[in-house]
Amino acid sequence: MSFSIEHGETFGLLGPNGAGKTTSISIVAGLLRADAGVVTVAGNTITTSSVQGKAAIGLVPQEIAIYPDLTAEENLMFFGRLYGLSDLERRTDEVLGVIGLTDRAGDLTKEFSGGMKRRLNIGIGLLHRPELLILDEPTVGVDPQSRNAILESVEALSAEGMAVLYTTHYMEEAERLCDRVAIIDEGEIKAEGTRRELVSLVGGKDRVTISGTGNLGAAAEAIRSLPDVAEASASDHAIQVLATDASRLLPALMTGITGTGASITSVEVEEPNLEAVFLHLTGKALRD
Amino acid sequence: MGAAVRIAGKDLRLRIRDRSVFILAILVPLALSLIFDAVFGSALEQGELNLEYGVVDEDHSDLSQIFLDTLRSIEAEGVLTLTAFDARSDAEAAVKNGDQDAYFLFTEGLGESVNQGGSGRIEVVGDVDATTSTQIATSIAEQFGAGVATAQLSVSTAAASLDSEPSDEQISQWIEAAVETERSFVLTDESAATRQLDSATYFAAGMAIFFLFFTVQFGVSGLLEEERQGTLARLMSAPIGRMSVVAGKAILAFVIGVVSTTILILATRFLIGASWGAPLGVALLVTAGVLCSIGIMGLVASAAKSPEGAGNMGAIVAVILGMLGGVFFPIGSGEDLLSRLQFITPHAWFMRGLGDLSDGAEWTAAIPATGALLVFALATGLIAVALLRRRYRG
Repeated sequence: MSFSIEHGETFGLLGPNGAGKTTSISIVAGLLRADAGVVTVAGNTITTSSVQGKAAIGLVPQEIAIYPDLTAEENLMFFGRLYGLSDLERRTDEVLGVIGLTDRAGDLTKEFSGGMKRRLNIGIGLLHRPELLILDEPTVGVDPQSRNAILESVEALSAEGMAVLYTTHYMEEAERLCDRVAIIDEGEIKAEGTRRELVSLVGGKDRVTISGTGNLGAAAEAIRSLPDVAEASASDHAIQVLATDASRLLPALMTGITGTGASITSVEVEEPNLEAVFLHLTGKALRD
Repeated sequence: MGAAVRIAGKDLRLRIRDRSVFILAILVPLALSLIFDAVFGSALEQGELNLEYGVVDEDHSDLSQIFLDTLRSIEAEGVLTLTAFDARSDAEAAVKNGDQDAYFLFTEGLGESVNQGGSGRIEVVGDVDATTSTQIATSIAEQFGAGVATAQLSVSTAAASLDSEPSDEQISQWIEAAVETERSFVLTDESAATRQLDSATYFAAGMAIFFLFFTVQFGVSGLLEEERQGTLARLMSAPIGRMSVVAGKAILAFVIGVVSTTILILATRFLIGASWGAPLGVALLVTAGVLCSIGIMGLVASAAKSPEGAGNMGAIVAVILGMLGGVFFPIGSGEDLLSRLQFITPHAWFMRGLGDLSDGAEWTAAIPATGALLVFALATGLIAVALLRRRYRG
């Protein structure tokens, strides 16, 4: 297994339970010893006995790894001291703000909801401003609202230039967050690349459903000749189009349809997803 | 080291917050010390040798005088009370009435018979309800008899080496000298009994070392709790040495162990008048005892899969070692297997060390027991660290 992550990039490890995601990131974080190979983070080789190199890594374990009988602030302060933060109080306040727990800073975390604990779990990981943030399935068992908040946090951190290694078995999360994705199964990377690169492996095309009124048959005929359109067919109220890179093609499609006098009421684009890629590569579904 | 102290500080805060440390480390051992002393204290005081012996000397020989001197020297140690009776019937009546546990009878002509190289018999008549006291009296008489036999052998050997026949006076002096040697042995043997602690100190010390093994579990099993709640991974991924986590747990165990034992010592001193001995000696014993309990419980934790497993195994180990080590009832200081076996436990050494400090002994009296405890600590601690290193090396 080999991969690299740039600053500001979110790299996803996508695979079903038991695929080896947690083992992989445990090796990257210096928790487990690799049988072979080298892990380098921010120029430091990481092993189980590394000390300085680990300062560049922030780990958010899959389990909620906080002390229930300490307050949110005490949890952050404790781990901050282990990392030797000089501006600990200020940084603690900042992180409490980022994870939306400023108002609950003095409460024991055992009184927190699952979502709040998850947010604190992430907050501890990014407290020391790591160059690489490792998140191991951070949204497992989280309500939709908290899940969305977590995903937004990850997007914001990536935008700030932090390298993020994100493991998940939720295809939607990988597609939303990750600049590049490695599909992992049985401890091996089966394929790696951007979502589009991965999708191209299975030769999938986007499906565009354009609802409208007017002579939809003529409209379908008009757009069928456009480059990258593989197929276009009309029904009573909609035109179905199969095309490569539909998002880029949408303006031409809409111009072609309205040019025949038909009007458009809605457009829906369905891209081939990573689930299909995973199925193609491994012969099994992500949630198996 | 800084990381270890921070981890210990965090754990201490958690333990204080959940209050269990106060209950198990201080309140329970203190309460049990008080209860045990109240319930069993008098029984234990009876268990301390307080023998009532009579003696009837019909012989009035040098040999009977030596025997009386021997008994009086034991009496001076405070172990027995000796009453001389003129008539055998008076002594017998006193034993029957329960005023005396037993009496020794030196029949007329015994000394003369021994001087002539012949045999003799010291009779021991005991109260049927005072079997232990009677056994001790018999033992004293047997030891004295063994001494006389040795003396006779010595005299025969000495006489054989002489060119001329020794005088009666010479023979008498040789016997007296030889028996004196045996009398010294008797006194040395009995002195072991004087090392017993008074009941208040005994139960306080027993509870202190017994619960110490539970108290330090707050520290050593913390590693397993960190593992279970997932925080161990976070600690291991932090820029600190892996063994800092283990060291942090050991520091916490040490602090809780020392503080709780110190509080127990002070409380029992003022509440039930426990007499612990020279403070420096006690401090050495407590420190070594705490280190020893950390080593043993660390070993248990390193072999356990969960905090509950460690707790259960630790409790079994603590109870077995505690009972074998005589923290609830005295095992004794004889030559039997159990008496010897007790010293494979740190509990017995801790109690022994406190016994050595009793009666105003210097702090240095605690050094042998402290050394033994440190050997336990080192041996078990090194094995525990090796197992933990293997477990968490990744």
